[in-house]
Amino acid sequence: MKKAAPVGRNIQNGPSLLSRFLTLVALLALAGSMDALAVESGRLIEKDGKYVFVENQDPALRLLLERAVDKGFISREEYEQALKASEEYRYQTQLPFKMWYDRGFNFSMNDNAFFLKVRGRFQNRLTTRWRNDAWRNPGDAKNFPELLGVFGDYRANRSVGNSTQFNLRRARLLFTGHLFNPDFKYFLQLGMESSENAQTPGSVNLLDYYLTSTHFPLLNAQLGQYKVYFNRSQINNTASMQFAERALVQDVFTANGLNRRDIGLTIMNDEEVYPINYYFGIFDGGGPLFTDYGSYESEEPAEGCPGGQTSGNPFPSPATGCAGNQRNINANARFNSISQLMYTARVMWNVMGRPGYGEGDLAYSETPQWSVAGNIAYNPQINTSSNNAFVGIDLANLNWRRQLATFGNGRQLGWGFVDYTTWGVDSVLKYRGFSLQGEYYFKNINRHNKGLPCLQTVGTGGPCTTFAPNQFGNSTGWYVQSGYYLIPRHLELAARYAYWDPDTHAASDLVKEVDLSLNWFPFGTYDYQVMITYSNIAMGTGGYAIGRSSPLPSTGGSQSTVPCPPTFPSGCVPLDAKGGTLIDNVLRFQVQVFF
Amino acid sequence: MKRWEKGPEMPGRAIERWRGLAIRTVLLGGLLALVGCARLPYTVQTVHQDQRVVVAIQREVTSAGYSHPVQLSPQDLVAILGSFSFRPQQRLPLRWFAEETPPKKIFRQDELEALAPFLAEALQKVGPEERVHFQVLAPGMNPAYEHDTNGGWIAVRDPYFHLTLEHFHAQFPVRKDEMWDLRYPAIPPEPGAFLLYFEPNRFWITDPAVDERGVLYRDFLKSVVLPVRKQGSP
Repeated sequence: MKKAAPVGRNIQNGPSLLSRFLTLVALLALAGSMDALAVESGRLIEKDGKYVFVENQDPALRLLLERAVDKGFISREEYEQALKASEEYRYQTQLPFKMWYDRGFNFSMNDNAFFLKVRGRFQNRLTTRWRNDAWRNPGDAKNFPELLGVFGDYRANRSVGNSTQFNLRRARLLFTGHLFNPDFKYFLQLGMESSENAQTPGSVNLLDYYLTSTHFPLLNAQLGQYKVYFNRSQINNTASMQFAERALVQDVFTANGLNRRDIGLTIMNDEEVYPINYYFGIFDGGGPLFTDYGSYESEEPAEGCPGGQTSGNPFPSPATGCAGNQRNINANARFNSISQLMYTARVMWNVMGRPGYGEGDLAYSETPQWSVAGNIAYNPQINTSSNNAFVGIDLANLNWRRQLATFGNGRQLGWGFVDYTTWGVDSVLKYRGFSLQGEYYFKNINRHNKGLPCLQTVGTGGPCTTFAPNQFGNSTGWYVQSGYYLIPRHLELAARYAYWDPDTHAASDLVKEVDLSLNWFPFGTYDYQVMITYSNIAMGTGGYAIGRSSPLPSTGGSQSTVPCPPTFPSGCVPLDAKGGTLIDNVLRFQVQVFF
Repeated sequence: MKRWEKGPEMPGRAIERWRGLAIRTVLLGGLLALVGCARLPYTVQTVHQDQRVVVAIQREVTSAGYSHPVQLSPQDLVAILGSFSFRPQQRLPLRWFAEETPPKKIFRQDELEALAPFLAEALQKVGPEERVHFQVLAPGMNPAYEHDTNGGWIAVRDPYFHLTLEHFHAQFPVRKDEMWDLRYPAIPPEPGAFLLYFEPNRFWITDPAVDERGVLYRDFLKSVVLPVRKQGSP
């Protein structure tokens, strides 16, 4: 009976027998692998800034055991058991994570189910600029690249002579890595800098925060806030540029026309795997940390009556029967603009190699790297501020107005709602330290209100007598830049020419830019760099901008009346009356440390 | 009056001048690229590539005058390369204080055994103006993002065997872009500076052709007893 019982148990517990058998096999396999580990295994650890291979087994213990075997104090079996036990002990007592420094502070769980890389980017520059007399008067009345004034009303930007300023141009903190496995990535970037002409000190801004899935190379997905995969110069990281600053034209033709960043989803394939790459995106179209709910129009208490002015009937007066209003008694009305999204598409063909997005051939490509690409974006319902009230008085949409100005579209302010259809083509070639890159842009601007904006009336609410001189046109521009590494991977000389026509209907408004840069990369990577960039920028002051150019808005009266009649609520001398070309010579000495 | 204060009549000429300069710069750069004047050695043939070892033939950009091709067995190469050790060359003034660091072996035995057959094969294919470049790979600190890389190149100018160590357990990105930011280029680290040592030191002689040390490899191979692993040894 004593023998039968265990047999019976075994029969009753068939699955247990199987599991024990499998466990035994697994243990044997483990023992085998541990045996191998005892001889060969180890790991890399960082010590004093260098990576060294450390065996899992304590060398002293191994020596003693080997001597013991040689002397016959212990058997070979005992030797093996001692090694296994020792390794298992070390494995069980080791920390479940590791930390090291390599292009940032790295923290990783041992099973790589979580990884965190913390990096900082310091980019400081000394900027010396010389401006011509035209900068004193008329100055920049087209509001590029800044919109002055507390409430975002339209003012000219004027300055004199020369200036020299230090500027913490980029102060970034990055938290990146992956969750669960390396194909599920996260990226968080904080920006704490201020631009050269910022009116307020920089604060901590969330620039990027997104998740990326790379589980399927044909169908990667990125969700969150980030730079839209649209045009080459904006996709590229500012840490890997050939010049201290982007050309003005490169900032103008972003996908949404407001900012290079937006909130949305991009589907794309893996550039490393496929020679032809696509990026399809859908976004809010309102810029970072902002949605279309932030866009609205001023409305009187009476529905359908535009508001936003201090007194009197709305100007120009499209609606009859609307009462005169008070500026502060208005409604903020959100219409169908909030249901509109932005769509983007980019297709790139890596004809030869894979040049990537970093500017210049720092990597010293041994074979030619060439790609061509095209992109298009449709961003409807951009509120350039309503044209149903005195321009500059309606306080609506300050964020959008500032964004429009910052990204080169300030002269479009006051035209009401517009749709942007922006497209471009680009190409880049890299070979043995030489690089050539160029882009062409075009932006179709579709204004919802088809008639010319009324600027002057006969009396308050009277018939319109003067209109804007013409409709705002489209916008186009291009640039070409080239660089050559005089010392491969270390010293580069680069040049760029950029051209921008902000309004195809206007004359004498071209913006042309020439840049030369000498770049030193002391460690052969983009992370550490010293740049000296010279820029010559010529901006025509021609063209028409509502509220700043002639004719100015008024409710009756004559612009030639002296003194200026009260019917000109914003004055009667156009800000750009003097004309001329704004010349800016800028020398930037910039240091970057990306650690 | 300063040049930049001349007013509105200045811009046209200034723009034209700078545009001309930019065009000339672009043309000059393009010309240099077309001429294809390589300034760093470049790969002409990959002899072997897998997850463990990459061996390639690189063409020198200046006249080298090597005695290639060369017949060396994998065992010979294991013996030669296994006798090298190194010390990172510090920059001044750290160099004055770094001499206390003992030299370390460049290769482990398993690395040599993986590498040597392909080096031997490459040395039979390489030309007099070419060298044999190698990389020994292993999983990096984060295997998803980096390769751990030992790299360098070898060449023979009779009677000297030359080894240059470029990377010692350097972390090479596995992609051309950073995994954590698809827009930021991932550039492999630059070759480092290393002081090489060879034991026995009497075979480590200055090659007068390049004023650099090389191994009198034929003499060394005559003297060396190739290691034979004892059966049953732990």
